[in-house]
This record gives sequence, C-alpha cells and structure tokens, in this order.
Amino acid sequence: MNILVVEDEHHLAESIVKYLSKEGYHCEWVDNFGKATEKVHLYTYDCILVDITLPDGNGIQIIERLKKVKSQSGIIIISARNSLEDKIKGLDIGADDYLTKPFDLSELNARIKSLIRRRNFDGNNEIIFKEIEILPQERTVSIHGHQIKLTKKEYDLLLYFVSNPNRVITKESIAEHLWGDHMDMADSFDFIYAHLKNLRKKILEKGGGDYIQTVYGVGYKFTRF
Amino acid sequence: MKLLTLTNRYYMVSILPILVMGGFISYTILKGIINREFNEKLFAEKQQFIHEWHTYDNLRETLYLNVGDKIEVRAVSHDPKIKSVLSDTTMYDAFEKRLLPYRQLKFSDKLHGKYYIITITKSMLPTEELVRGVGEIILILIAGLVFSLWLVSRKISKKIWTPFNETISSLKNYQISSSTDFHFAQTAIDEFTELNRVLTQMINKSKSDYVNLKEFTENASHEIQTPLAIIKSKAELLLQEGNLKQSDLEDVAKIYEAANRLSRLKQGLSMLAKIENNQFEEVEAIDMAAFISKYLENLEELIEIKRLTVNKLFHSKPVLILNNTLAYVLINNLLNNAIKHNLEEGCITITLNNDELIIENSGRAFGGDPEKLFQRFKRKGTVTDSSGLGLSLVKKICDIYSMAISYTIQGETHRIALRF
Repeated sequence: MNILVVEDEHHLAESIVKYLSKEGYHCEWVDNFGKATEKVHLYTYDCILVDITLPDGNGIQIIERLKKVKSQSGIIIISARNSLEDKIKGLDIGADDYLTKPFDLSELNARIKSLIRRRNFDGNNEIIFKEIEILPQERTVSIHGHQIKLTKKEYDLLLYFVSNPNRVITKESIAEHLWGDHMDMADSFDFIYAHLKNLRKKILEKGGGDYIQTVYGVGYKFTRF
Repeated sequence: MKLLTLTNRYYMVSILPILVMGGFISYTILKGIINREFNEKLFAEKQQFIHEWHTYDNLRETLYLNVGDKIEVRAVSHDPKIKSVLSDTTMYDAFEKRLLPYRQLKFSDKLHGKYYIITITKSMLPTEELVRGVGEIILILIAGLVFSLWLVSRKISKKIWTPFNETISSLKNYQISSSTDFHFAQTAIDEFTELNRVLTQMINKSKSDYVNLKEFTENASHEIQTPLAIIKSKAELLLQEGNLKQSDLEDVAKIYEAANRLSRLKQGLSMLAKIENNQFEEVEAIDMAAFISKYLENLEELIEIKRLTVNKLFHSKPVLILNNTLAYVLINNLLNNAIKHNLEEGCITITLNNDELIIENSGRAFGGDPEKLFQRFKRKGTVTDSSGLGLSLVKKICDIYSMAISYTIQGETHRIALRF
C-alpha cells in the first residue's frame, strides 16, 4: 500500500509517516505543492493525505488535478480549517474524507483503512482478526463463525480497535471516534467503559479471546498477545 | 421630535414677534398718516370757510344746511382770540343710533367789526373703519404667511430629506458580513454627499476591520491547530513506545489530554467569535419538536448509562427560523448539560410550548447565582474537563435570535427556560 503525505509541517508529517509505516504502509512525504504535483503525476498511490494550506499552493488544486486524470487514489484532506464550508467544498471536489487538525493518528489510520477497503473491494472485503470476522458492508461480526449482535457503538468500537491493533488508543480518541463533538470528554469515559464491558462480554460468550487491555491512565489496547 | 416640527417651532417663535410688531407699527403709521390727512382736511375746510364767509355776503343771510360736516357760527361780543383748536368729541348720531367719534376745529374770526366763533365738526367714522380694515388685512396676511410657511417647509423638508432617508434605509439594510459592495444613491446636496462620503469611508473601514478579524481568527485557528496537532501526534507516538515506565506513560497521556482540551477550547472560542461576527446567517425553518427529539436520540445511550428518566412534554410544535448549526449548538449544549450535571437515576423534563422551551433536570444543589454560569469560563465547582464555554455559547445564540433565557435552581432542580 502506497501512501503520499502532502503536509508542510515537518514534525506532524514525521509523526504520520512513523505511525503509518508501523502499520506496514509505504509512505512518501512531500512538503510543498510543487513536489506534490510532481509525485502524483509520476506515481500512483492508494491513498493521498493532503493538507489544504501549503506554502506554495492550495491542496484543493492537487485534488482537482487528480480528479481530472480520473485517479483511483483515495483522498483524505487534513486541514486546520474546521468550518463546515471548507469540509463541504473539499468533499464536493472529490475528496473521500476530511480530517480536522489536530487529529488522532489512530483515527487517521482507521479512516485510511476504511477508505482503502471501500476503494479496493467495493467495501465487500472482510476483516479478520484471529477468530473475529467483520463484514463492513453488512456491519456484522462473527466469532468462530457465530454471529454476535452488537449495538452500533459496540460495532464502531470493535472496528476502531481492529483497525489499530497493538496500539495504545487513548480514551479521548475513542470518545471522539464514537461521538464526535457531541459530548464532553469526561462523561464519555464512563460510557466507553460500559460499552467495552459489553463488547468484551459478547466476544467472550462466543468463545473469543479477551483482547481488550486497559492501559492505566491512558486508554486501551487491542492486542494479539 | 421630528426635525421638521422643531424647525417649524423655531420659525414660528422667531416670526410671530416680528409679525406682531410689524402689524402694530404699520397700524400706528397708517393711523398717523390718516390722522394728519384728516387734520389737514379740517384746516383746508377752515380756509375755504373763511374765504367763502368773507367773500359772499349773502351767506350770512342764507340758511345753508350742510349735511356733511357740521359748521357752527356763533357771534360773540368781544374778540375770543381763538386761533385754531383741534379737539375730539363724541356725538349722538341719529342714523347709526350710537355715539360716534368726531373731531372739531374751533377758531375765531372778525367780520365787519363783529366777532365770531366758528366750529367745524367732522365725523371720524370713515377713518376709524379704514384703520380697522387695515388691521384686519394685516392679521389675514400674518395668518396666510404663517400657514404658507408651514406648508412650504413641509414640502421642502420632504424633498430635501429624501436623500437622507435613502441613506438611512440603505444603512438599515447593510450587513457587514455580506460580500457585496456598498453604494449610496447620488445626491445633489453637498451636506448629504459629505455624509454619504464619511459613511462610506466608515463602512469600508469597518468592513476591512471585519475581514481582518475574520482572517485573523482563521489564521490563528490554523496556526494554533498545527502545533497542537504536532503535540498530539508526538504524544500518541510516545504512547506507542512499549518501553515507557507507567509514570512516564501517564505523563505523556496528560500532555495528550491537555492538548486535546486546548483544541476543544479553541474550537469553542472560534465558534463564539464566529457567532459574534454573524457568520451564521443562513437560516431555515426548524421544527423544534423534531429537532430536539433527533438530538435527544443521539444522547440516548448517555441517558441510559446514567439511568435517567426523560419526560418529553411537547404541547405544541413551534417552528423557528434559525441557523441549523447554531440550533444544533444550542440544543446540544442544553441537553448535554442536563445530562452531564444530572444525578444517577435523575430525571430530565423537556417542556415545549408555542413560545418557550423549558429544560428541567435534577442535579446537585448550587450555591451561587446560576445566571453567572452564562459567562465564559464560569463553571460549577472545579470540573476542569468542561470547556466552560457551553452556556456562554447558548447565551450568545439566544442573544442573536433575541430569545430570553433564564437559569434558576430550586434545591436540586435546575431549570433553564428559553422564550422565543
């Protein structure tokens, strides 16, 4: 999987590349508009992360160029602008997703995975994590072939964990993934705990393993052992 | 008071004394002239009489009845030495049947060695009437002048102030956040051209200030978000390091958490700024009952986990014209607060009437003035994880749509009432 990161902020790009490389992606990074246009002209990427405000141009133009040549790459805008108009505009010209800075790397990772799944297999691919089998299209989960019934939040939570295996995922990141801005942080931690308890119970009931590990004071980790 | 009323008032106040004085003076002058003429006439008659009296001898024998002026000739024994004496008197007039003013000219004369006193009496009635007529004309003139002045000033003011009224109405319709250029209608009056020029200058200045501020907010937002994104991502990467001590891990988590809080705070502040800048202008009709139900559903699980009881008392379905984002921020903040500051197994009552929304929830008793919670960064107690902006956002939105909001606490019942 090839990913191009177009981001002028070196430290942020460095973090993104580091996190994504660990996930097994091949990441390339450019820090300006000129280099970015050159790269997308020469190579094909599965996913391109584009910052809108670049020192020598606008990320929107890169997307427009990609759309013009009917590129199959998935496009995620990463921008510090969080106004609704910016989001609508970005998605309108053909971006697949829009992430507002500052974002969680785990969230970015989950979005990239979801995007690549949708792109490559029309969303019909299954995600397998040991005995857990997830069909994103149908939104169903089976353990050892037995389907389990999850609430929407439990499903989202499981998918988020499976997308970021062996990573410490902070409570804040989970809260934002599940509720967005709907809720104040402090409340949500109790709710996360409650959802996790139910999820763990449902997986264990069907003979699945207990993969959810609590990282004290930080968050949770979905481990393969 | 209207400008026209005021100017008219000043006009009247300054014109009336002039008119009254002018009337009085012209009356006196006219009266003087007429008086003089009258006296001259009397003297002329005296001369004529003496001439005729001395010339025509047969006059003394002829009984001559003069129905015009009355002339009395009285013979006296010695010389009375009366040169000419003018005097006013009244006499009964048989025709008019009342006393009328007369003027007499009395003088003595010597004819053929005899002395006579002659009195010529002339009715002053025509003169009196003339003077009265003149006075009346002056009064009519005054009234006409005042009336036409009032009428003309009304007409003129209507015509003259048209450009001014146009300026006012275009100012009323002006919105600083609209991107269209602003122009006043042309006017031929220098004062209004100047006014329009100054206003245009002011508007352009405010507009550029507004744009600058907007840009600053956007830039600041951009510039703050980026370092925050770096802090967050670096902290997240550190958390992934397997060889950190537990205490270090917790410290990193705290850095991460603080960066998160800062980011949320910034979002809240820029939201407030955007509301203050009227950047949420697009409005739509929102069915409040459906809107509240929809967002309440989003919060369903929070309600479940806290085991709260929600009573929806929707007595009517008011439809409000609001901006969707602002309506969302308003309702979401109110509902969130009602859940967040609730007790375990507490209750929430949402009452919706035609003109008000009341959200009541159980919660801990609060000693201070609840209205103070509408201010920025005022929190109940020391809950540091809330941004402290929620209720001030609510207040700001209410201000924009001129809704009255009140927060009262009675014991353990918190009540927020919104009147629209």
